[in-house]
Amino acid sequence: MAILKKQSKVSDEIPSASMADIAFLLLIFFLVTTVFPKDRGLPIVLPEEQEEVEISQRNILHININPDGSVGVRRGDSQNESFHRPHQIQQVWRQEVAQNPNLIAGVRTHPDAPHRFMIQVLDALQMANAERISLQMGEG
Amino acid sequence: MSLKGGGLERKSKASDQIPSSSLADIAFLLLIFFMVTTVFRTEADRPIEWPEAEATQQIDETRDNIMYIWVERDGDIWINDRLVAMDQVADLVAPRWVESGRRLRISLRADAEAPYRYIDAVQREIQRAGAIYVVFATDLERRMQRERR
Repeated sequence: MAILKKQSKVSDEIPSASMADIAFLLLIFFLVTTVFPKDRGLPIVLPEEQEEVEISQRNILHININPDGSVGVRRGDSQNESFHRPHQIQQVWRQEVAQNPNLIAGVRTHPDAPHRFMIQVLDALQMANAERISLQMGEG
Repeated sequence: MSLKGGGLERKSKASDQIPSSSLADIAFLLLIFFMVTTVFRTEADRPIEWPEAEATQQIDETRDNIMYIWVERDGDIWINDRLVAMDQVADLVAPRWVESGRRLRISLRADAEAPYRYIDAVQREIQRAGAIYVVFATDLERRMQRERR
């Protein structure tokens, strides 16, 4: 009886042919599960509690947001209120701040006004580089 | 004068196949990119209509230092997948504010149509908790859309 010697065919190397397949599999897994964070918005710094500063009416621009989206603008030392659309505030602010660089925007929103209008006004103010903005709620 | 270099015709050596030896490298590179950038969802999004703003900017703070407060159209407040009563908001914000070393950013994700009274109430709660940095979450508005409006 002839003795057949079996030669070992097991390679001592890690098979690398399927490496790309494994990489692609993992790649597709991460592609599908990735959610890019949507952490964007309009930043604002709130005053600390009980931090109330008395400001001269001369340096305040009252911006009143009504429930229908009309925006009343009135200088602190005047009685005349002019009405605008929210995105026109950018123009108004630029004109007013050119006359008085110490101006503070006092945004007073009606409790029933949608959040959207306040955001539009805040957006307009930030686009016009307003830095001193105070957010308040008006009387209902 | 011969242009063909003395009659010797050069054979093109360029292969007509896409080189595949670097395929695995490319795959791994992309893989590593996605592994590094992936953030697994920690809380579910609430169904809100995002307000839009042109001045929208990225929050420059790490994800650990951002807290999300959802305000729905009917005034419901959601924090960390839980419905929260308005007067409990401050109790949830205060420990996070201290933990973050006074760096906490609060992303206020309010529905565009939510009445302002709820937004104001949440702001008061945030102030009561001592936190001061608030970001009104918005979607970036393209100028084109604005001109059409």
